[in-house]
Amino acid sequence: MSGVAEGVAPVEAERLEETGASRPTRDRHRWPFGAPLAVLVVGLTVTGILCWISSGLYTRNETRLLKLRAQDVGAVLTAALPSVQTPLASATALANATGGNVAKFEQFVAPYLHGNPFVSVSLWQVNATDRGPLAVVGAPPVLPPSTARARDFFARAAASSNLNIVGFLRRPPLRLGYAFTPTSSGSFAAYGESSLPSNRYAPVQNNSAFNDINYAFYLGRSAKPAELLIASVHRLPLTGRHATVTIPFGDTAFTVTVAARGPLAGTLPKRLPWAIAIAGILLTIAATLLTVVLVKRRQDAVGLAGELEQVADENRRLYAQERGIAQTLQHALLPDTLPQLPGLQISARYEPGVEGVEIGGDWYDVLALNDRRLLLVVGDVSGKGLQAAATMAALRFAIHAYAVEGQAPQTFLPKLSGLVNVSVDRQIATVLCAVIDIPSHEVSVTSAGHLPPILISDRGGEILEIPVGLPVGVDRNASYTSTTVSAAAGATLIVFTDGLVERRGENIDVGLERLRAQVSSNHASLDQLLTQLLSELGEHAPDDTAVAGIRWLN
Amino acid sequence: MAELSAFGGASLTYDLGADSDGSPLLTLAGELDMTNADALEKVVAPVLSRAPSRLVIDVSGLLFGDSSAIALFVKWANVVGQVELREPPELLSRVIARMGLSERLGVTR
Repeated sequence: MSGVAEGVAPVEAERLEETGASRPTRDRHRWPFGAPLAVLVVGLTVTGILCWISSGLYTRNETRLLKLRAQDVGAVLTAALPSVQTPLASATALANATGGNVAKFEQFVAPYLHGNPFVSVSLWQVNATDRGPLAVVGAPPVLPPSTARARDFFARAAASSNLNIVGFLRRPPLRLGYAFTPTSSGSFAAYGESSLPSNRYAPVQNNSAFNDINYAFYLGRSAKPAELLIASVHRLPLTGRHATVTIPFGDTAFTVTVAARGPLAGTLPKRLPWAIAIAGILLTIAATLLTVVLVKRRQDAVGLAGELEQVADENRRLYAQERGIAQTLQHALLPDTLPQLPGLQISARYEPGVEGVEIGGDWYDVLALNDRRLLLVVGDVSGKGLQAAATMAALRFAIHAYAVEGQAPQTFLPKLSGLVNVSVDRQIATVLCAVIDIPSHEVSVTSAGHLPPILISDRGGEILEIPVGLPVGVDRNASYTSTTVSAAAGATLIVFTDGLVERRGENIDVGLERLRAQVSSNHASLDQLLTQLLSELGEHAPDDTAVAGIRWLN
Repeated sequence: MAELSAFGGASLTYDLGADSDGSPLLTLAGELDMTNADALEKVVAPVLSRAPSRLVIDVSGLLFGDSSAIALFVKWANVVGQVELREPPELLSRVIARMGLSERLGVTR
């Protein structure tokens, strides 16, 4: 309440209102989707990174698993090689040991026929291949006897102690031929042929241990399409993620390329990036929407705060306005002009209190009774507000009327209790009347419960401690006595209300003494004196203050 | 002691009892001014409606009383006929004395 300085001009209040209004407007017009957009971008970025990481992990894992599968295939093939090598090596050794005994040869190799592993096994004399095989078990060999290819092959086979592969025999039926001569001293060589599917296609059986991969076997150390032995798919080469292993096979090698038919580690790791992506996007959208809601709420709150600020500004403005009205009313109820009498200076002031907007009940009045007599009145109605002001006005005008009629204060003061009745409206009023006889310098003072006047002369200020009657409104039968004092030439009489001397928590006598000391050392003009008293003593008074004074001119 | 709450106003506690002679005794502590005088008057009204011949107001704990407080005491004095304002602090008793009300309010020390 007391925070508002006196006299906040309406102009300033309006300026406050404007600044109060512009703040929320600026916030409200700010683009509201910055934070949600940031959340969206961050969310999608994090989702993308997580997808990328999980996808990379999936790829690395699949590649690793595929390599393992390729190695498995290689291991199986390596394990199968002896089934080709051993019968041929044994048959060659048998032939050399028996000097090319055909019957024994045929008897030995017979169990290895019927396509497993051979469709054709034949016995050849190494340095006479042109004559063809000495013996044939199973189908006739496709290798043409009297060709350079056959000659070279058997010469090479005889020179090496390894399994020798003649390569593809493309004359239908399609076959792969081998010979194995563990010792290079012999003159006989056993020669086997395995059949290959004419389209080189052999699908992986569903119950196979390798039903999760596609494969392509090539003869040689690289995956040359022309050297394809067999594959589980028609479309070659295998594309996409694939792994290749090379397995030594006699004087050449097998190259095995495998590709996964599906995710080797199961479907969960494959779907994980997608799951992360979907969950991430959903979470991001949810977070973005939540942010939008929160931003909206915050903006609403800011807007509301702005509106409250506006209301507060409006209240401040109304407060200042109301205060202005109260002061205007108070001044309207006080005399607008003071009488002018020869030989006397007259001055009066009224100062509203700093607390609240309510009008006070303090007043002063100065009446010229005739050419030489003056009535100086100061009063204070208890309480505040319009009721106090109305009582104050009634008392002031009644006193005016009684005085003009010629009644003395001790006569009219009891009558005033007809206007104020503490039992009815819980109001009392203190009134001080001073009748001043200007030429005789006599002052007749009557107090109805009011603070004493101060008489200032060359000897300094003096509190006129006169008998005090009951305040107005207490008792219609109250009696009052007037006290007459003589004022020196140039003396000053000051009458006032308690706002000038009263301080909360301080003895009233201390305040009176402070005022007395103040006026004693002051030699300003009467107008200046009252102004200074109000500014120095009444400035911070919570109550309103009225002060009036007269000074005899020398 | 009951608390007399006045929104935004002064804080006052009061107690209604009986003095040694059976007269109603109102004990006040805290601050009494125009913000809570109404509330206090309502609280005391039932006691006064029994038309006691004497009312004792113990104001030894009253830290502050303004003209509204004094007006209320005067009103009670007018209603009851005899009021004893018991042991007012000096600040209050000096104001009452300056208002010429010491006798009327039966100020005792």
